[in-house]
Amino acid sequence: MARVVVLGAGVSGHTAALYLKKKLGKEHEVVVISPNSQWNWIPSNIWVGVGKMAPEKVVFPLAPIYRRKGIEFRQAKAVGILPEGDAGDARAAVDVVYTGTTRTGETERIRYDYLINATGPKLKFAATPGLGPDGGYTASVCTPSHAVDAAQRLADAIIALRAGTPQTLVVGVGHGTCTCEGAAFEYAFNVEHELRAAGVRDKAEVIYLTNEHELGDFGVGGMVFDTRDGRVSSEAWMASLFRERGIRAITQAAVTSVEPDVINYTQIDGSTHTQPYDFAMLLPPFGGVDLTATDRYGADITAEVFAPSGFMRVDADYTARPFEEWTASDWPKTYQNPTYGNIFGVGIAFAPPHQISRPYATPDGIAIAAAPPRTGMPSGAMGKAVALTISDMILTGAPKPTHTASMGEMGAACIASTGTGLLRGTAAAMAMSPIVPDYSRYPSTDGRDATETTGDIGLAAHWVKRLLHTAFIYKAKALPLWYLIPE
Amino acid sequence: MDTAQNQIDRAPLTDARELRRRRNLIIQFFHFVTLNWKMYSLAKSHH
Repeated sequence: MARVVVLGAGVSGHTAALYLKKKLGKEHEVVVISPNSQWNWIPSNIWVGVGKMAPEKVVFPLAPIYRRKGIEFRQAKAVGILPEGDAGDARAAVDVVYTGTTRTGETERIRYDYLINATGPKLKFAATPGLGPDGGYTASVCTPSHAVDAAQRLADAIIALRAGTPQTLVVGVGHGTCTCEGAAFEYAFNVEHELRAAGVRDKAEVIYLTNEHELGDFGVGGMVFDTRDGRVSSEAWMASLFRERGIRAITQAAVTSVEPDVINYTQIDGSTHTQPYDFAMLLPPFGGVDLTATDRYGADITAEVFAPSGFMRVDADYTARPFEEWTASDWPKTYQNPTYGNIFGVGIAFAPPHQISRPYATPDGIAIAAAPPRTGMPSGAMGKAVALTISDMILTGAPKPTHTASMGEMGAACIASTGTGLLRGTAAAMAMSPIVPDYSRYPSTDGRDATETTGDIGLAAHWVKRLLHTAFIYKAKALPLWYLIPE
Repeated sequence: MDTAQNQIDRAPLTDARELRRRRNLIIQFFHFVTLNWKMYSLAKSHH
């Protein structure tokens, strides 16, 4: 019997665990270790954050699902990996600290034959003084509880507007190296939509504050697609949308600190600015979770297994090169750790070889570089590919990974909500293929397949976003025929 | 430096016909079917 341990139960880890159990059956053991007792459909946190969806609608408890599927669940936080085992036992292991109510604080060393690191991000609010809802001054929609808090702050701003007090609402990213600009974009437009619905839009200023070099970059270098009006860039497409909705934008910005009523930021030319605000939702930068690695003698090998960012090294080409020499083939395909072949890193937990968008810095060296997004569709695809690889290794003795899911080859769709409502809702639907532009394969269409890279705005895209909410929660609950819903 | 805002200020506004199209239930139903098919195809062909 083989034991596969999955660290993390987000989109990537949960997908991997379900496919592993489906393939391996009762003969082998699948163990999921997650500090959270609940699964969260993070894309819908946006709607919780504007008070249009109850937080219970975006979460469900993991334990009953895993019990039903025969997956072992430990509510615990992984703190260390021992890929070579320890002095007393040569089997690889992971050290965990329990976080659930019954065993809080207890530690355990869990042995594994295969390990999937799908721990997701560490939310690094501390990277910017004053950032974040816990000890800072800004709201967040990264977790359901953060989103509930954001909704309350927004409701307070609307009350002030109704009382005739003008409000400045700033939505964006809280550091020069943030990712997930798409989520910030969605939240900005949903806030604007709610202000209009409340009849107070005329008294409010909505500002989108971002580290993107241009509007519509989204950390993937933007895209060019066919619309009814011909080929347009996402930058031009977004500029029209911002004008239509009267949202101001500040790009090429790195937030350096947040005070109770002002946001301090610097831009690429080195200029420094202060933006007053009444309400602010700024996403934090991501880092790898605090995991260490030690060899069989107890020596620290964290730097071998993890990149300095804390994300896990996988089969990417990490050679430092200038932007002009980056290629789609630098990106990992199998997500296998190069040192330890039975360890894989997927989703946000793997270390990307570099950004997708061109990185910039101020004259003082402050990085303004949108980090590559690795959430949602690609994250699920990675989890599935690694699960199928490990299943093949266990069941057929395959010596090498048998499945791939490179962001330099696969496509992805992003439905960015710009307002909710069955008949009044709207969203921007964007599809791109591949996610990382491949200029050698598609030299004349900005590195992407023109037939698969598309954009559309309207009510239909909102319906799709709502359908995805229902479909992915159905899939995550492993209800009948869950595996027919693609990642 | 406020290049993004300059671009927004100069961006073409969506015309009334396009705004109606984005709300028209029949047109949007067909878009809904098309978008789902595109996403399904994208996922099946690459994942």
